[in-house]
Order: sequence, then C-alpha cells, then structure tokens
Amino acid sequence: MALVTVKNLSFTYPNAEHKALSAIDLSVERGEIITLMGATGSGKSTFLRLLKPELRQNGELEGEILLSAEKATLSHRTGVSGDSLLAGSGSPLVLRTFPQRGYLRKGSLGAVDIIEAPSSRIGYVAQDPEEQIVTDKVWHELAFTLENLGLRQQDIARRVAEIASYFGIDRWMERDTATLSGGEKQLLNLAAVMIADPELLLLDEPTAQLDPIAATRFIETVYRLNRETGVTVILCEHRCEELFPISDRIVILDGGRVVLDDTPRKVAQLIGKDSEYTAFLPTAARLYHSVGGRGELPLSVREGQLFVGELHINHTNPEHTEPTSTEEALSLKNIRFRYERKGDDILRDLDLTVYKGEVFALLGANGAGKSTAAAVAAGLRKPYSGTVKLFGKPLKDYKNGSLYQENLSLLPQDAETVFLHETVGEELKSCDTVMEGLPFDLKPLYDRHPYDISGGERQLVALCKALSTKPRLLIMDEPSKGLDANRKALLLEVIRRLQADGVTVLLITHDVEFAALCADRCALFAQGGVAAVDRTDRFMTDNRFYTTAASRITKRYVDGAYTVALAAERFTAEGGAV
Amino acid sequence: MRFEQLNPFTVAVYYLCVLGIIMFSMNPLLIAIALVTSVLSAVIGGTAGKKAHLFSLAVFLIAAVLNPLFVHKGQTPLFFFNDNPITLEATVYGLCAAGMLTAALYRLRDLSGVMTSDRVLYLFGRFSPQLALLLSMAIRYTALFRVRWRRTCDAQRALGLFTDGNLIDAVRCRARVLSILITWTLENGIVTAESMESRGYGTGRRTSYATYRVHRYDVILMLVCIWLTAVSAVGIYYSKAAFYPELSMDLLSPWGIAGAAAFTVLSVLPLIINGKEAIRWRLLLSKT
Repeated sequence: MALVTVKNLSFTYPNAEHKALSAIDLSVERGEIITLMGATGSGKSTFLRLLKPELRQNGELEGEILLSAEKATLSHRTGVSGDSLLAGSGSPLVLRTFPQRGYLRKGSLGAVDIIEAPSSRIGYVAQDPEEQIVTDKVWHELAFTLENLGLRQQDIARRVAEIASYFGIDRWMERDTATLSGGEKQLLNLAAVMIADPELLLLDEPTAQLDPIAATRFIETVYRLNRETGVTVILCEHRCEELFPISDRIVILDGGRVVLDDTPRKVAQLIGKDSEYTAFLPTAARLYHSVGGRGELPLSVREGQLFVGELHINHTNPEHTEPTSTEEALSLKNIRFRYERKGDDILRDLDLTVYKGEVFALLGANGAGKSTAAAVAAGLRKPYSGTVKLFGKPLKDYKNGSLYQENLSLLPQDAETVFLHETVGEELKSCDTVMEGLPFDLKPLYDRHPYDISGGERQLVALCKALSTKPRLLIMDEPSKGLDANRKALLLEVIRRLQADGVTVLLITHDVEFAALCADRCALFAQGGVAAVDRTDRFMTDNRFYTTAASRITKRYVDGAYTVALAAERFTAEGGAV
Repeated sequence: MRFEQLNPFTVAVYYLCVLGIIMFSMNPLLIAIALVTSVLSAVIGGTAGKKAHLFSLAVFLIAAVLNPLFVHKGQTPLFFFNDNPITLEATVYGLCAAGMLTAALYRLRDLSGVMTSDRVLYLFGRFSPQLALLLSMAIRYTALFRVRWRRTCDAQRALGLFTDGNLIDAVRCRARVLSILITWTLENGIVTAESMESRGYGTGRRTSYATYRVHRYDVILMLVCIWLTAVSAVGIYYSKAAFYPELSMDLLSPWGIAGAAAFTVLSVLPLIINGKEAIRWRLLLSKT
C-alpha cells in the first residue's frame, strides 16, 4: 500500500478560469524521494499544499487524496488525540474525501470528511527561511512544535536534545533566531518540523533563497533523514544538480498536469536536447544530449567525467579576447571596514577594480562580507580606511545625491526593500523609457500589489526600478536568487543588453553557474579581501572546487570548457558526425 | 553556579527584595549601604562602563541639590539662598533620596542585564503559555523589524530616494518606508501563521517548555533572601527614621544594627555567590 495515493485530483482557485491542477494521478511509496519540477505557475506549490490539510487553499476540488494509516500507533507516541485515527487502523485511511465539485473552505469540514490527520504526520517546509520562524530563540523554536502537541516537559527536553544533536544545531541553541544565517534558519525550520517525527515531509522550494553551499548542505540533510529515518519526501525545486542523483522519481508538471513521472535517468533521457524542460536537467545530462551521446546517461559530475572520458576531443583552442577598456569605472583601494568599534574587520585591505563596460562577478560564500563590500562600493557604508572611486572621482565628491542619479545604482538582495507603493504601476511610473529596452513585459502586473506577485516577477520589477535612475554602474546583489531557469535566461539577456549599452555591471553572487554565463572577469572573495581575480575562463578552469559543474566534468581532459555550450564544442561522440 | 545562571524565579525574588528595601526605606544607614554595595557590584561585575558611572553621579548630584533648593521645611537653617532657608533636614533628605534613586538605578541596570528575554518569558510562561508565546513572537518581530528597516533605508538611498536635502523630505521618505515595512510584516505574517498552523498550533492544549530547572539551591536562596529582607524590614521599623520637622532616628538600636547587617548581606549576595565560584575555579585550576 502506497503512503500517499492521489486519484484524479483537480483544483481550481476561486474566480480562476483555468484549473490549477487537472486530473493528477500519483502514488508515493513509503521511503521514496519524489522531486516535482516545473516552471513557475505549473501548480507544484498548489499540489504540495493540497497534501497538507492545514494549508489547503480555498477553491474547487475534485478527486481523492489518501494517506495510508499503517503507522497509526505513532499518534499514541506523540500524544495527539489518537482515538479517531485508530478507527481506521490497519486499513487505508481517507485523509479527506472531497465532495464532488463541492466548494471547500479552509478550516471547515466538508460533509464527507471522515478523519482529520494529525498535523504531526505531515511536515511542511516552505521557501522563505525567515518567515517560518515563530519564536525568538532557537531552542524555543524546536520546542514550539511539541508544545503545540501538548507534550510533557521531560519529553520535550529529550526530543529537543535529540534533534539538536542530530542536526548539529546544539551549539547554537541559545542564539536569537534573528542572528542566524539563511542556511541556518532553513535547517532550523527543517529540524522544527522533523521533531514531531512526521512520516511525510513536504518541501516547497526550500533552497531557493540559499547560497549553493548552504543549499547543498540542506539537501544532504534531507537525503540523510530519508536514509536514516525512512521519512518519505516530496519536494519541488529548481536545483536539479543535486536532486537528480538522489531522487527516486522525478515528476514534471506543466500547466497543472503531470507530463512525466519516471526515474531520474529515464526522465533525463526522455526530455532530450531541445525540449522546453532541458533547463531542468543537470549539467552532465545536458552535455550528454548536446554531444548526441549514446548509452548510459550520466546524472552526477562523477558519471559525467566517465562519460566525457569516452568521447573524442576536438583540438581547437577557443579564442578569448582580453578586456579592451582599461578605464576604471569603480576602484576600491585598501578598504577596511567594521560594523562595531570593537568588532572584527569585515573587509580587510580590500582591493578591487572594475573596468568600464565590463561585467564583473564577485563570488564567495554567504557571510564572507560580499554584501558589505557592495554597500561600501555603493557609498552606503563608510570604510574607516581606504578610498572608493567611481569613474575616477572619490565617492564623497558626488554631492547632493548625484551619486545615485545617473551614476550608480544598487539592486539589493531582497526585492521587498525596493517597493514603496501600493501597485506595481505606481512603482514603475518613472520607468517607461527603461522598460522599452527590456525583454519582458511587466504591463500585465500594473494593477497588482508588489507583494502579490511571484518572487521572480518581484525581482524583475525591482530591476526596472534600479535601472530607472539610468546608472552608469549597476551593482546587483544576488540577482539570480530564487529564479527558475527561464527567468535566469531573461536576466542574462538584460545584463547583456546593459553591457551593449555601455553600462558597467558588478555582480555580487554565489551562483557560479550564472557568473560563468555572463561575467567577463570573476573574483573570489574570502576573508574580507579578494583572493583571486581572473578572466572568467581562466578563473573557472584554474579553480578546482569553486567552479561550474561543466568545468569539473571536463577539466581532466580540456581547459576552458566551463559551460555546457563550450564543452559541447570540444567533444564529439565517437563515430558521430562532427 | 554563578548568580546569573540561577533560576529566573530566584533572580526575580532577589531583585524584588533588594529593590523593595531600597525604595521603601528612607533610612540613611541602609541607603548608604545600598549605594556603596550597588556601586561595588557594578564595578566588580563590570556591568557599568565609565559613561554609566558618570551618568549615575550626575543623577545623584542633581537629585541631592534639587530637594533643599525647593523644599524649605525643617527647623535648622544652614544658610540662606535667595532669601530662602536651606535647611539641614531638607539637605539630608535630599541626599537620602538621591542615594536611593542612584542605588535603584544601578540595581535596575543589573537586572536588565541579567533578565534576558528568555528569562522573562520563562517567568510569564509559568502563568500563561499563550502570553509566553505572544511575548516571544513580539521580541522576534522587533528584531526582524529593525533589520528590515535598515535594509530598506539602504535600498532606497541607493535608488536615489533619500536626498541629503531638506528635513521635511527626509521625514516624508522615512514615513513611506515605515508604512511599507508594516505592510511587508503583515503580508509575511501569513507565512508565519501557516508555519504555526502546519506545526499543530491551536489543535489542543498547549504546554510550555523551559530550559530552567528549580534546584534545591534556588529554594534555599529564595528563603534566605526573604528572611534577610524580613530582618531588614524589622530594622527599618525600629529605626523610626523621620526627617521633618527635625531629624529624629534611632539608627544604632539593636534591631537597627541587625537590619543593617542583614541588608548588607542581602546586597552583596550575588558577589558572595560569584566570588565563591571564582575561588572554586581558582582551586580547581591550581590542582590540575
């Protein structure tokens, strides 16, 4: 008996013309990891939320969701009122049967509802790490879940201690939740859900707001939980690189329908080279399709290396042009900065030069001080020693706010901080000329509130606002965070157009794959300074760990193949046409 | 165990006792003891910096001077100022009041350092789990709000909204930021509410978990505090301190002395506990 069985499920939001989900059939076995993929608006989140009774939205529902009740004894152990649950012990338990074409309101029980599943059986972690945290202390956040279930003091103490050491958060139990990093917050959210010992874990883009290292750690933790506790996982994600190798099945949703539902290798094989879903595939699989590979399809970097080893190498050296401009757009010299007088230096002797007209990427892990460097470069924070010059003129010589008019603009990490008005239209009132040159249209959003649109759309609106002052230097802080593959492609195009218009772009990012696609030069930020600056191709080739997946796959054979496109030029499938 | 690590109840009882005596006794001897010991605690504990000491000194001086300047009751004029008598009684009373105020300020500063948010929560959580949760969430939101305020102001400055120009513009811009921040907080409150609901909030009776235990040591200390306070109170009663129309007090009666001694012990109790701890560590280290 499958843990979750979804039969012919359809869902329509109130006043919506189209079904958000239509005729979904899915069964999930105990202990599986299922990854849902699909573009924004494909119904992934809607589907996940339907599986969690407390989060079910208003709307019209058809079909059935069944949750097996083999482990009914669990409810005894967690102290939840277990009697009603036990009624169906052993036999399948209907989590909620929906009245045919009935209108279901959140919180109300429909006429045919049989049994409510206790909240502790299904765990749910959403995208935003910050907003899911309820209390002010880490230990209290963990205890909160168990307090709700009415556990006794000594039981809570034991479970909190247990989960804290399992997740490795026992060292920061006493800390304020506000002081945690994004990755730590999300790990805490996961721990606070796992503490109730759920059978089913639902994760709605849990790593979208995290840097790649924290994201990988999060996914590793989920994988470990799955192997060691047998928890069933259904997650939706854009991060295919790590998820393809560990998932049992990949389900691709499009327009509310299940398009593909198979093992990762089969799905990757079926999608092929030029499908609209190709961007969902990991690098190794895309490379396989690009060179027209045959045989076993590689999913991970290791498999990719074995696959590439069998290929024929084209000995052509791709040409790289040195940057032409030597005129400085932005220069930071010997910058030292700290937030508190008695604190540590966040920036230590930072030297950085960005030339006119180039796209420069400053890479590095979270918390290394990259964003502080951006704030100093933008004149928002004053260094206690060193100078910042913009187009050859010290920042302090830009008087009366002229610095932020037609000279410099900073696109901050959280798009929310950019908005001040009730509608998108008002936000973009002064941006008409800017909008003409952009490869997307925001007009349909004009009547909406900036907080009602999706995260990706918000990012694009914020970008327009940042461009409205017609800056000559644009600093972008984590612009690719939380964007799906399509939106990333849009952003890439915007950056290329800006460059063509002569705008200098400084990217502050931890997204190596994104930097590889658009930067002329890259720098690695570490310990408050720049550890290495180089042309993108040399940077990606010379780095062993901090580089793209394509580079890691191909570096033992060729140099400079740091994107799938570049790698595809260098290899041909043996016996294949060149 | 250090004093700060005791159960919040014990700490609360202690400060209630000390502050109670300081604020409700106008006994010059006890106030002198309170002033000396609270400054001593602050210096040894390192809870007050140079600025804090200077501030306290200023408070003391101002309070001490104001009373004789404005109150002219009393029978023993010392001198005349603007044709008004400055009396001995009013001066002594002023000194006592100033001492009381300063000592109380020092103690309150100690208290706010020791009573961190989770201790306050623990105290209230005993009475109502709901109240404890509400407070905890409020504290979290305040911290979040502060971070977001700063980030939004930065973002707006870099987008050219804030000009260094006139004050009215600056105020108007900040008002806009404040209003949008409130919207942001309310909007995202939905996510928090969902997170609470999906973790079973509101499904049944709640319990309140706390990381503090009540040890025997705590109970003994609480009893000691209450006993010392009682002795001090009896001492205050028998001292019969009165300032107007003329100074009359019997500070050195047997009960008066006992009260003063009890209050001295009570005042330096944290120092004794921490000192014992320090000595114990010293000994442990020297053995190894």
